[in-house]
Amino acid sequence: MSDDDWPTPMPRRGDVGRSGDDAIFAVSPAPQAAGGAHQASAAGGQILEAPRRARRATSPLGWLGAGLLAVWLVAMPLTSTATQLVQNTQAMVMVLAVLGVNLTTGYGGMISLGHGVFVALGSFATAYAAADLGLPWAVSILAGAVLAGTLGAVVGLPALRIKGIYLALVTLGLAIVFQPLSKRFTAFTGGVSGRTVDAEVIAPTWFGTSRWSQGLYRYLICVAVVVMALWLVRQLVDSRPGRAMRAVRDDDTAAAVYGVNLTTTRLATFAASAALAGLAGALQVVLLPFASQESFPPQESLVLYATAVLGGLGSIWGSVLGVAIREAAAAAGSGLASIDGLGAISELFDLFDDERLLFGVALIVLTFVFPRGLASAIVGRTRRRDA
Amino acid sequence: MDAGLLLLQRIFDALTNSAIYASLALALVIIYRSTGLLNFAQGEMATFSAYVAFVLLAGAAPGLTGGSLAAAIGAPYPTVAAIGAAVVLGAIAGGVTERLVFRPLRHASELAMVSITIGLFLGINSLVEQWWGTAPRQFPSLFPDAASDYLDIAGARLRHTAIGAWVTLLALLAVLAWLLQRTRGGLAFRAVSFNRESAELSGIRSARTLMWGWVLASALGAVAAALSASSVLLEPKMMLRVLVYAFAAATLGGLDSPRGAVVGGVVIGLSQTLVPAYIPFIGFELSVLPALVVMVIVLVVRPAGLFGTQRLERV
Repeated sequence: MSDDDWPTPMPRRGDVGRSGDDAIFAVSPAPQAAGGAHQASAAGGQILEAPRRARRATSPLGWLGAGLLAVWLVAMPLTSTATQLVQNTQAMVMVLAVLGVNLTTGYGGMISLGHGVFVALGSFATAYAAADLGLPWAVSILAGAVLAGTLGAVVGLPALRIKGIYLALVTLGLAIVFQPLSKRFTAFTGGVSGRTVDAEVIAPTWFGTSRWSQGLYRYLICVAVVVMALWLVRQLVDSRPGRAMRAVRDDDTAAAVYGVNLTTTRLATFAASAALAGLAGALQVVLLPFASQESFPPQESLVLYATAVLGGLGSIWGSVLGVAIREAAAAAGSGLASIDGLGAISELFDLFDDERLLFGVALIVLTFVFPRGLASAIVGRTRRRDA
Repeated sequence: MDAGLLLLQRIFDALTNSAIYASLALALVIIYRSTGLLNFAQGEMATFSAYVAFVLLAGAAPGLTGGSLAAAIGAPYPTVAAIGAAVVLGAIAGGVTERLVFRPLRHASELAMVSITIGLFLGINSLVEQWWGTAPRQFPSLFPDAASDYLDIAGARLRHTAIGAWVTLLALLAVLAWLLQRTRGGLAFRAVSFNRESAELSGIRSARTLMWGWVLASALGAVAAALSASSVLLEPKMMLRVLVYAFAAATLGGLDSPRGAVVGGVVIGLSQTLVPAYIPFIGFELSVLPALVVMVIVLVVRPAGLFGTQRLERV
């Protein structure tokens, strides 16, 4: 996030509607526009057209991605066993958590290394609401998101003063402190060993009673929630608050001069992103009636961060791509690890069957090659070829 | 035991941890001061060194990764030699990491730097767990550690291991002070930390100088990990909390102040023992929470810490 990423037009009063695409798409016109008045007459038309052209240029890839995603959404449940269906849905749901990281880090410019904490809070709150309070599932899921979002705003308070690498430090500290802290609140979290949830999402009888159809029912709930959340985030980042968010990220002083309220923007960004992560945690409880701090070691938060960065920050599809990469890598890793008899090479494959090692190395390599993340690399290349 | 004696005993109990936090905080400060980077992977790098020491101590035990390699170079070593060798290897690894990963990216954004350290964190964490397992292991102490090895001071017990940890730390501080104040390389290091461009204009090879900073920091981290492993047990996640304590210590003392790191280490070490003792709700499990709170408060109220330089931000 260097200084030259000044995005779309500054937010203005009454400036509603879509004013361009995600931040990364909007980067290209800015340097041209800054090129000086003497070029304006020659390149004027180009400047006006640039955003539209950039968007068109990405569309073939976008359509391809959307097509693949649609195929996966239909084919996955049909080709999975009941157990695989739950596992794959669990993976899909994590798109929301990664998008949460993306929202603070990519759109808000506030590095978060502790989003696993909010996923956990969402899980615990939903478990508590559904099992202990006996609330309906729709309310319980919402409760997970709301509690995580509220605590996200509290955690966001230091972010009003602490920026950049120091905020990364504080959020990493939070991720590390969370496990011992959650062991303390036994009634809410089940302590060291976690808690089972004495309530389950049951499909109506006409839906079928097999484990697979139960799984399919929960899968459909998750798809609905994830799609709705993605759509909401899409609306948010293209709206005035969303542009304010990016303006604060790129230059908070300038944003303040233009009338953006830094306090509310930062807190709202943190709250929204924590709520997304909490929603992911809530859906985990829908899928499997169990919640435990064991599932949220600090490394999990770091893997979420890695997934968001690898997929591409500042892009919604980047987060989807990140999770897709994570799952593809896991499948490829276990596939490679099952190959034996290659001596040292299969030992290496075995090592990389662990996503922390794979993602750690990938994070380092990709920071070298594409300092702005994978999605931006693809977009950037397409745009250059087009120009 | 009356309250005063109990307090004295608790302070003695905090000494070993204080030394551990101070040395890891010092490692963090050396790197921050010279490059402006917070090395989140410092703890994991240190853990790796501690496991190297463990392998050198154990030699060719069955099922121990690297055991046969260690045996080939003469393991099992005596405790001092094994830890010393691991510290040297850790220091070399730190220098290599700087050369391969951080030097090429020295102009990259803050986000890229965070990503690199997190990548290292995850990668090393995974390697340690895969190679040596998650089960805690006994790690010998450099110092006499029998139940009877203590000094009786006014009825409170000051253990020899605590004295040893502080002797180690003070010796390291003396070496560090000598290196920085009395050698040409140290002068270059201070010049590069103070103003990199000016240092380069006066003929200092800044990249090579910064690499030495990483070497020093990694050695300090390895010492911290060895002390930590012998005071509790050696396990892959042992440095996670220590990292929070050390960062809290460094932040409290001022992230660019070596003196602050030591003072911060002492304060945080004491608070880790005293706060749970006098505020029952916190308990030992949660003793890392006060450290995080201290870190946040310092960063919000006085980012320069106790001894750090005030950062001026131009808008």
